[in-house]
Amino acid sequence: MQPSYVKVFLTFARNSLIRDMSFRTNFIMQCLSSIAWAGMNFALFKIIYQFTDSIGRGSGWEENEFFVFLGTIWIINSLIQTFFMANAQEFSELIRTGKLDFALLKPIDTQFLISFPRVNWSQVPNGLLGLGLVIVSVRQLQLDPSKELYFSVGMVIIYLIFVICGAFVMYSVMIILASTSIWLGRNQNLYNFWFYITNFYRYPMEIYQRNGIGWALWGTFTFVVPILVVSNIPARVLAQPLGTPFKTWELGLAAYAVIAAIGSLFISRSIFKLALKSYRSASS
Amino acid sequence: MAIIEIEKLTKSYRVYQKKEGLIASIGGLFHREYREVKAVQAIDLTVEEGEFVAFLGPNGAGKTTTLKLLSGVINPDSGACRVMGHVPWERENEYRRRFALVMGQKNQLWWDLPALESFRLHQHIYGIELGQFNRTLDELTEMLDVSHLLGQPVRELSLGERMKMELIAALLHSPHVLFLDEPTIGLDVIAQHKIQQFLKAYQEERKNTIILTSHYMKDIAALCQRVVIIASGSIYHDGSLADIVDKFSSEKIVTLQLSDEASLTGLKDLPNILEVQPPRIKFMVERDEVGQTLSEILSQHCVDDVVVEDPPLEEVIASAFSEAQRSREKETSTPEQVR
Amino acid sequence: MVHTRVMTWWTFFLISINERLVYRGDFMLGTLMRFLPTLTQIFLWWAIYDAISTEGTANSIAGPDGDIAGFRFGDMVAYYLMVIISRAFSSMPGLTSGIANQVRDGEIKKFLIQPVDMIGCLLMQRIAHKLVYYFIAILPFALVFWLCRDFFIDGWPPADVLIVFFASLILAFLLGFFLECCIGLISFWFLEVTSLTFIYMLMNFLLSGHMFPLELLPESPVNIRIWVELTPLKYLAYFPAAVFLGKIRGAEMYQGLAIEVAWVVFFIVLSRILWRRGVKRYSGFGG
Repeated sequence: MQPSYVKVFLTFARNSLIRDMSFRTNFIMQCLSSIAWAGMNFALFKIIYQFTDSIGRGSGWEENEFFVFLGTIWIINSLIQTFFMANAQEFSELIRTGKLDFALLKPIDTQFLISFPRVNWSQVPNGLLGLGLVIVSVRQLQLDPSKELYFSVGMVIIYLIFVICGAFVMYSVMIILASTSIWLGRNQNLYNFWFYITNFYRYPMEIYQRNGIGWALWGTFTFVVPILVVSNIPARVLAQPLGTPFKTWELGLAAYAVIAAIGSLFISRSIFKLALKSYRSASS
Repeated sequence: MAIIEIEKLTKSYRVYQKKEGLIASIGGLFHREYREVKAVQAIDLTVEEGEFVAFLGPNGAGKTTTLKLLSGVINPDSGACRVMGHVPWERENEYRRRFALVMGQKNQLWWDLPALESFRLHQHIYGIELGQFNRTLDELTEMLDVSHLLGQPVRELSLGERMKMELIAALLHSPHVLFLDEPTIGLDVIAQHKIQQFLKAYQEERKNTIILTSHYMKDIAALCQRVVIIASGSIYHDGSLADIVDKFSSEKIVTLQLSDEASLTGLKDLPNILEVQPPRIKFMVERDEVGQTLSEILSQHCVDDVVVEDPPLEEVIASAFSEAQRSREKETSTPEQVR
Repeated sequence: MVHTRVMTWWTFFLISINERLVYRGDFMLGTLMRFLPTLTQIFLWWAIYDAISTEGTANSIAGPDGDIAGFRFGDMVAYYLMVIISRAFSSMPGLTSGIANQVRDGEIKKFLIQPVDMIGCLLMQRIAHKLVYYFIAILPFALVFWLCRDFFIDGWPPADVLIVFFASLILAFLLGFFLECCIGLISFWFLEVTSLTFIYMLMNFLLSGHMFPLELLPESPVNIRIWVELTPLKYLAYFPAAVFLGKIRGAEMYQGLAIEVAWVVFFIVLSRILWRRGVKRYSGFGG
C-alpha cells in the first residue's frame, strides 16, 4: 500500500491540465502574458544594446552572450512558475484557511504533497521561448568569427544539469519563504518578496563587482542565498563571455553550484519540518 | 487494549487581541497583546474498538481541537495519546493510512474537477490497488446514491452531494478509525437523514470505531450509544444518552387531551403550563411527582389521552452545557491571563 | 443628506484602514522590499554606462560619464526612483479584477441597496490604502532618497516645477484609478475582462515609461513614439518623473498637465456613464 510518487505526480499534472483547459481564456491570457513580459525584456535590451557594446566594461557580456543569459533566465523562470510558484502561494492559503489539515492527514510526504499539486501549464511556452533564444544566440556566437566558442554535446548536458541545480536552489528559497507564512500569517507579500529577491539574479553577476555594497550583494547572493549561481553558471557554460570556459575560478564556482543545490534542498526541508511543528490549524 | 487512549491531553492557544481604533491598530504593528485559551485541558478518555462515540459540547468547547489532536494535525502541549498503538502527531504514514478525518465545514476535493478525479488521486496517494479501489468506490457510491454525479465538477454539486463525496473520499482507503467533525452541518433534513443512515449501516457492517461531533441531536440519538460532553476543554459527562436525560433533566412534559372544556378551566391554575390549545394542555412536572400529579388530575377530570415525555433533547443538552460552564467557571478561580 | 453621505464615506475609509493593519509582519516587510529591484537597476545601468564612458570604471558615487538619449547615468537612476513615486500614486493593483469579480459574483447587489455607490466606496478604499501604506513608508522612502541624493545631479527643481510635479502626482492617482475602474466596469457587458486587462498591462509596460524612459523608444523602423502621445499612459509613470528631472520644461510642461487634466475628467465621466448603464443592464449573475 505504498504511495507511488510518480503516479501521484502524473495525476497532479493531468488534473492541472484538465483544469487549465477548462478555463481556456484564462490559460491563453496567462500564456500570452508571460510571453509578453519576456518580449518586453528582450525589447528593452535590444534597445540598450543600440547604445552600448557590452554590459560591464570588459566583462564579455556582449549582445549575443547576454541573450544566452536572458534565455537561461526565462527557462529557469518557466520551471519555477510551472512547477512551484502556484503551489507556494497555495501553501500560504492552505495555512490561512486551515486546509493544510488535509495534507497532514495523508500517508505521503507532506512537502511533496504541497509542492506539486498545481502544474501551471501556461508558463511552459515561456520556457520554450527561452530555449529558442538560447539556441539562436548560441548559433550566432558560433557563426561569429571573432569569438571562439567551444561547443559540444557535453556542454549542453552540463548546461542542463546546472539549470536543474538552479531550479533546486530556487525551489528551496521558495519553500523557505512559503513556510514562513506559518509564523507571519497571511503572506500576500510572499509573491512580491520573491520577485524582489530574485530580481538580483536576472543580470550577470559582474555588475555587482565594483564597490562595497556591490561586493556585499555579490557575496550574499552567492554564498548565503545562492541565487546568482542559478543563472550565471549555466549561462557561462554556453555563452563563454571570457573565452574558453575552464578557468579555475569558474570551475570552483560550478562545483559550488552543485553543492549549493543539494545544500539548499536540505536546509529548506529542515525549515519546512520546523514550520509544520508550529502549525496551529484554523478554527472552524 | 483500547483502540484510543487519551491521557491528560492538553492544548492551549494564543489569541491575539485586536484593539479598536486607528492609533491602537498602528500600535499593533509593534506590539501585540494576547490571551491564552485553554482549548483542551488534561482530558482522559478511552475508546474501545467498534464503539460509536459522540462528542457533544457548546461551540469552542474543544471538540474539534481534540479530534485534530487525535488526527495528528496539531501537537499537544502535554499529555499522551495512542490511537491503534500510534502516537498521532508523529504522523507516521502507517498511522495515516488507517484512519480518516472528515470535516463538515471544509472541503478537500478539487473544486473544478469531477469528484472522480479527486478519488483517483486518493487512490494513488493511499496506494490502493485498482480492483479494490473500484469495488470500494462502487459500494460507497451505491450506498449514498451518487454514482450519477461522479463525473460532475464538485463546484456544481449541492451541499449535501458534496458532503457525500467528502465522505466517500474519506472512506476509500477503508479506514479503521473514523473521525467526523460536524459532517451534517448546513445540510437539509433529507440529506442529514441519508448520511445518518449511511453511517449507521457502514459502521454496523464494518464495525469500525467512530467519533462524531455534531450539534444535531438527531444525528447523535440515531447513531451513538456513548456520548461524551465536552465543555471548556474538559470532559463533563461520559455515558449513554439516556444517562444524560436522567441526569440533566429533572422534569417531564405532560400533555393532556381533555374531554370537556370545563376541565380546562379547572386546570388553569397548574404551575408550569407550557401551552394551552383546547382541548389540549401541556405542562411540566417534576419527575418524581408525575405519578401523583397525574392520578390527582385523572381522578378529578375526564381525560381522553395522556402523553408523558422527556423535554426536547436540545433543551436537556443546553441545560447540561450551561451547568458545565458554570461549574467550570467556579473551578477556575483565577481569571484568564492577560499579557 | 450630504453630511450622512460624508460620514458613511468616512466610515468606509476608517474600516479600510483598519483592514490594512491586521497582518503586521506582512506590512513591515512589504515596505522595505520595494527598493530592492532599484539596487539591481543601479548596478545594471552602471555596467551599461561603463562600456560607453570615457573615464573608465569609476568607483565613485558619481559613476561613469556618458549619455544615453540625453540621460546621464545619474539621470537614469534618478528617473527610476521618480518612477517609483509616480507609480506609488498611479498603480491600482487588483482594482480591475476586483470590480470584475464583484460583478461576476453578484456582490454588486450590496452596493445597489446601500447609500454609498461602489465607485465612491472603492475610491475611499484606495485613498485609505495608499495613505496608510505611504504614511508608514515615508521613513524608508526618505532614507532611500537621501542615500541616493547624489544621483539627482541637478538637485531640487524650482518651485513652479515642483508644484506641477505634485499636481501631476495627484492627477496620476485619479487617472490610474478611473482608468482601471472603467476597464473593470466593462465587465457589466463582457464578464471576462482579463484580455482587456492584459492588453492594458502590455501597453502600460511599453508606453508609460515604467520600464525605461520614453526617450529610449525608437522612432525607426517603427515609430513607436507616436503612440506615446495618443494615450494617457505616459502620465502614469513617465510624466511626473520627467517634469521633476527637467526633461519637460516650460510651456510643454503646462501643456502636458492640461492634457492630463482633460484625460482625468474624461475617465471620471466615462466611469459614471458606464456605472449607470451597467447597473441598468445588470441582471444579477451569480450570488
